[in-house]
Amino acid sequence: MPSTIRPSWQKRDSGLVARMILSFAILSLLYIIFLSVLAYLGLGFVPITIIASAMILAQWYFSDKIVLWSSGAKLVTRDQFPELHDLVERIVARNNLPKPKIAVINTRMPNAFATGKGPKSSIVAVTTGLMDTLDTEELEGVIAHELTHIRNRDVLVITLASLFSTVAWYLMQFGFYGGLYSGGMGYGGGNRNNSGGSMIIIIAVAMLTWVISFLIIRAISRYREYAADRGSAQMTGKPIKLANALMKITGTIKNIPTRDLRQEEGLNAFFIIPALSGSTVGNLFSTHPPIQKRVEKLMEMEASMS
Amino acid sequence: MNLFRILRKKGNYRTNEHRIDSDALFSLSSAHITLETKLNLRSTGKAAIGLKSVSGRLFAETIEEIKHFLDVSKTDSDLSYKVIKDSYGYLWIILQCGKIEDIISGMSAVGQIVHNRDFSKQLFAALFQFSNDNNRKNNQYLVYNFALNKFYPFVPVNKNERDNEIEREIMETIVDEMPFEKDVSLWYPIWDPIL
Repeated sequence: MPSTIRPSWQKRDSGLVARMILSFAILSLLYIIFLSVLAYLGLGFVPITIIASAMILAQWYFSDKIVLWSSGAKLVTRDQFPELHDLVERIVARNNLPKPKIAVINTRMPNAFATGKGPKSSIVAVTTGLMDTLDTEELEGVIAHELTHIRNRDVLVITLASLFSTVAWYLMQFGFYGGLYSGGMGYGGGNRNNSGGSMIIIIAVAMLTWVISFLIIRAISRYREYAADRGSAQMTGKPIKLANALMKITGTIKNIPTRDLRQEEGLNAFFIIPALSGSTVGNLFSTHPPIQKRVEKLMEMEASMS
Repeated sequence: MNLFRILRKKGNYRTNEHRIDSDALFSLSSAHITLETKLNLRSTGKAAIGLKSVSGRLFAETIEEIKHFLDVSKTDSDLSYKVIKDSYGYLWIILQCGKIEDIISGMSAVGQIVHNRDFSKQLFAALFQFSNDNNRKNNQYLVYNFALNKFYPFVPVNKNERDNEIEREIMETIVDEMPFEKDVSLWYPIWDPIL
């Protein structure tokens, strides 16, 4: 599971995130279909659990390749992007970190993500749009943010957290198919009503677990974003640069007007109510905290440093 | 931003009579020390107060009273002034003095005269010029908007370009010391150098 720097609800970012979510959704669907077929064929609970675990491990093992493939990111050599390599090397050298592989996505949307199983085999990907939009110091801030995700093993943390919900999902499936095919598995007979009742309870509990873990994962993920911002600030010593980068990426930096106050005066009489931003329900479901909050925290760090 | 805050903000706009708020202006007398110690920004000793000029004898008399007041106070301090009209038709009273405290009290008095003459609605904005020693050319400003009753930074770099980074830095440095406009979308610049 990759961690992108942009909030997933950002409209302009929808392409990349949608592509990744779709890839993982298709994968999950394939698993479920495959496991359901196995269950239908009458395989017992234990062998199916072993196969499912093997598949999860395989997904973990190939996660970087899957992410690269689904995002369209290409690994790049020093010859192709010497400045980008220099920039990453500067940060890792200063902070005593192993150098990650570097990938570039050819899209105008400014974005970046980190993925990988551990600090030694990780990948940092940036889009060409990000490199065009940001200046060197801002790009450093963003890459340091991604490197903090790697250092904190956030990919592992989120994967483990997701495992919880995945297990809940499988239990839900087994509750469903277990009940449906109980005849085929040799538990049929007179107590059909009874097993139907317990099946509903199993599904309900599994669903509840799944929903709760889904929300918890998002809360953890949001917390880790703040942690990555903090780590980036420590690595570069310039939280304001990351704040600027975030604002540039989301386009909020354009909020500071350039129209003269004297031109604007006449319009002030018709003071416009600003659009309501980000409902609380949206915040609950999003994996990233609102940019405004992140910028505020970075600015506090900047203020405490001066 | 919740609805309550929006309504309150809107309310501020409605009820504010552009009265000169001396407390807000005088908060600058401590904030400018913070700017100097933390950002090495010093007052250049120049400031201006802008008025939307209107035709008529009463307004002209108000300007005369201001001039008279400033002429008199010249004897107490080295506060000098001039009055100019910009291309938008706004009237600017430019104050110059070595001590920012004298500028602030001068400006506060000017505001009081305008208010007493019932022209507070004509009060537009005040500008305070700052500079850091390294770069005398690049002046930075604090704008005081009478409608908002708040300060905000303005750092022009080129023609029609402003340095948002330094502006945010200025805000972070003094935001707790003075009434500061936190909504950056209201930080309207005042271009062409009046000072």
